[in-house]
Amino acid sequence: MGSLYSDHPTWLHNVPAGVKLFVLALLGAGVFSTPNLWVLSASAACCVLVFASLGQAIIRARPLLIGLAVASLMIAVFHGLLQQPLVGLVGVLRLLSTTLMGIALTLSTRHTDLLRVFEWLLQPLRPLGFHPERLSLQVALMLRFTEHFFVLWRRLDDAHRLRTGKTGGFKILAPLTIQMLVAARRVADTLHVRFHR
Amino acid sequence: MRRATPIFSMNTSSLSIALVSLFAALIAVFGLIPKIDLPLGVPITLQTLGVMLAGCMLGPKRALQALLLFLAAVAMGLPLLSGGRGGVGVFFAPASGYLLGWPVGALVTGWIMHLLPHTTPRQTAIHAFIASAIGGLLVVHVFGVIGLVQIANLTWEQAIMGTLVFAPGDLIKCALCATVVHTVARGLPDWRFGG
Repeated sequence: MGSLYSDHPTWLHNVPAGVKLFVLALLGAGVFSTPNLWVLSASAACCVLVFASLGQAIIRARPLLIGLAVASLMIAVFHGLLQQPLVGLVGVLRLLSTTLMGIALTLSTRHTDLLRVFEWLLQPLRPLGFHPERLSLQVALMLRFTEHFFVLWRRLDDAHRLRTGKTGGFKILAPLTIQMLVAARRVADTLHVRFHR
Repeated sequence: MRRATPIFSMNTSSLSIALVSLFAALIAVFGLIPKIDLPLGVPITLQTLGVMLAGCMLGPKRALQALLLFLAAVAMGLPLLSGGRGGVGVFFAPASGYLLGWPVGALVTGWIMHLLPHTTPRQTAIHAFIASAIGGLLVVHVFGVIGLVQIANLTWEQAIMGTLVFAPGDLIKCALCATVVHTVARGLPDWRFGG
């Protein structure tokens, strides 16, 4: 499963993942706590500059940027039609600031680095019986089985098409779910044998 | 069916890890599957159905964990949402309220499913429909509306009108969820719906 991470090196790649997440959290809290147009404009301008400074790395984010442009346009047009252009502008500036920085973080941070940050953030939950180290095992299992189940889905769809001449659609949801639950039993057995828990 | 003999002999810890990971994977697969066109050309994507199924099949705690795991993987930059979207940025988009509503929706679905009795496959399916409609539809849309009001600066009335457009499609997903639960109840009679 490919990540949205960009291998093209940028200055942001050298900033620790935890620092980037912290700055993003601060930025999100900041832009949503003020309706001041000047503050939001300055924030959006800074975020655009930071994002543009990533150079070639942003090419990988093209689909995400198109989504951002469409959402911004819809908000602007909607509020324009309702004669509330300033409200629309505030919404678009907030969206630009936070989403661009979110995309920048995604492009410049390996998912394993973010995983380590999440595990560290979840440490306080340990006394409640939560095991942060399980997160990496579960992410690994999830990615492995995403591919496995997608192949299984296509196999069921092909079989259905051969039988009926039509695509399976939602008719193969139930067999897929049953096969998945059966697989869960086998995986649980294996984990129990491997980890004795 | 439910409350009968335990279905797994192994420790519940390894079972939880497996079920949580596999349901998170199922929701990811639902994002990879192209949208399904229903009669009259109504297209539906399946990830919300995954939220409903997780609640009905796993129960509240594991369903919540599966959805949190899925969203954590999305936040890490994996393109698991329909259309290949992913990364932290999606949590600031106008539709992010729906995303954040998924874990709560799965929790509520699982909790209702856990409370209701499951004597026959038909009864289980009917209760799955009710649980999905409350958790997977109502709760998720409440979060979606809050997101639209906060991020897209819509009024409550505008946001509610906007979200109602998707309600018929989601009701169809509740029916699909009930159908899948009915089939699973017949195919795996020892499965404990609702955890």
